[in-house]
Amino acid sequence: MGASISLAGVYKEFGPLKVLEDWNVVIAPAERIAVLGLSGSGKTTFLRLLAGIEAPTRGELKVSSQDVGFVFQEPRLIPWRTVRQNLLFVNEQADIEQLLSHLHLQGFADYYPTQLSGGMRQRVNLARALAVSPELLIMDEAFASLDLKVKVDIMNDVLGLWRKHRFTMVTVTHDLKEALYLADRILMISSRPSRIVHEFPVSLPEKRSFASPELMRLEGELLKLVCQQ
Amino acid sequence: MKGLLRALTGILVFLVCWQIISFFISKVIIPLPSETLGLLGQHLIDPRMLGAALQTAWKVGLALALVLLLGIIAGLFLGLSAACYDMFRPIIMFIQAVPVVSWLTLVIFAWGVGWRGPVFITFVSLLPTAILTTVSGMRNLDKDLLEMARVYRVSFKTVFYNIYWGSLLPFIAAIIDVTIGQAWKVVLVSEYLAGGSGLGVEIFNARLVVDSAGAWSVTLMACLLGIATERLVKYFLRRMPKRWGPV
Repeated sequence: MGASISLAGVYKEFGPLKVLEDWNVVIAPAERIAVLGLSGSGKTTFLRLLAGIEAPTRGELKVSSQDVGFVFQEPRLIPWRTVRQNLLFVNEQADIEQLLSHLHLQGFADYYPTQLSGGMRQRVNLARALAVSPELLIMDEAFASLDLKVKVDIMNDVLGLWRKHRFTMVTVTHDLKEALYLADRILMISSRPSRIVHEFPVSLPEKRSFASPELMRLEGELLKLVCQQ
Repeated sequence: MKGLLRALTGILVFLVCWQIISFFISKVIIPLPSETLGLLGQHLIDPRMLGAALQTAWKVGLALALVLLLGIIAGLFLGLSAACYDMFRPIIMFIQAVPVVSWLTLVIFAWGVGWRGPVFITFVSLLPTAILTTVSGMRNLDKDLLEMARVYRVSFKTVFYNIYWGSLLPFIAAIIDVTIGQAWKVVLVSEYLAGGSGLGVEIFNARLVVDSAGAWSVTLMACLLGIATERLVKYFLRRMPKRWGPV
């Protein structure tokens, strides 16, 4: 079961720099949320608050579980440790073979990160997030540096695992299509100090196609909202 | 093969130059290479000289072990706490600036002549390098990896072993690389000035009887041992990253 999240009047400031301003949102267990916003608007700060790396300056933030998996934009794997050791680093009891098999990495457990391609490293990054059996999966522009084919493959892996485990998913992205493909609801945020300016429900079936006309229509709507900002 | 030939040629040129110079300068100052190398050959099979070499070698080993152990521990603490680093940095810089001979008074008053002096002098001479290199390693830790560990609430013990230790390993290798050659030199000087036994004492004894060839042959023996140890350590250091994984 996924974690539930609620933010009530959350502000985050770094000294004189106001990053988040009056964020109010409730995220249900197993809901999939995408956060869309300009660079430097505070999307990553929001994720850091959810992960417990930062605390709000004001307001109330509640995350019902501490089992958080974080897929970083860059894989952040320990270079002198093998894939297996990188996964065991976060959870000594992790079922490595199963995790690697879910993410099409069978046979790579004893490889070092430098011996893997960018896409494979990102899969290991995702496997590490799943190794803690997360109730909340956070993804910080996790697919930004990948080519389209690899990106779609990994997103499909994530969605397959979500269907199986029903964790709550919060992803930050610049890519409208990616947001529509992954999320049940999209939070559009303003530039810094950021506020949630639109909540965009994604009225698409659970199983989606990256090239479906409906997804493209929603992308057009979303684009209009982005341009209005 | 080509490299070896060039190295041998270089040695040959050096010996020829040495031979020529020794014709023009007093044998007391520059002994003949044949005489020096002959003595070196004798030393290499002389149990007394081999014993002296062993005496020097264990002092080098002990001093290096202490430098690594205490230098890395001190470096870890100073690397973790900026306040401690600021507090102790002037003392470290001072210790680093103190010349070897200045420690002599201290060790002779404290322990007289014996093995403790050379070990202590080598230790204090090389300790600042070990501390400052470890601190520099700590400052180069990948903050992203540490943040990742925080997100996953990984215990400090696990983080230390997997991230800190792994990141510091190249710096520790650098400490060994830099200090091993210096350790031989400092131990020899300390033995010469305050040691009870060892190759440094043998050089001192040769000087007492104006035996230049003897002094140079022992020096050559110390150089050979120093180079051999350095090569051996570097060989193991080159292998270590493979065991540790590609860095």
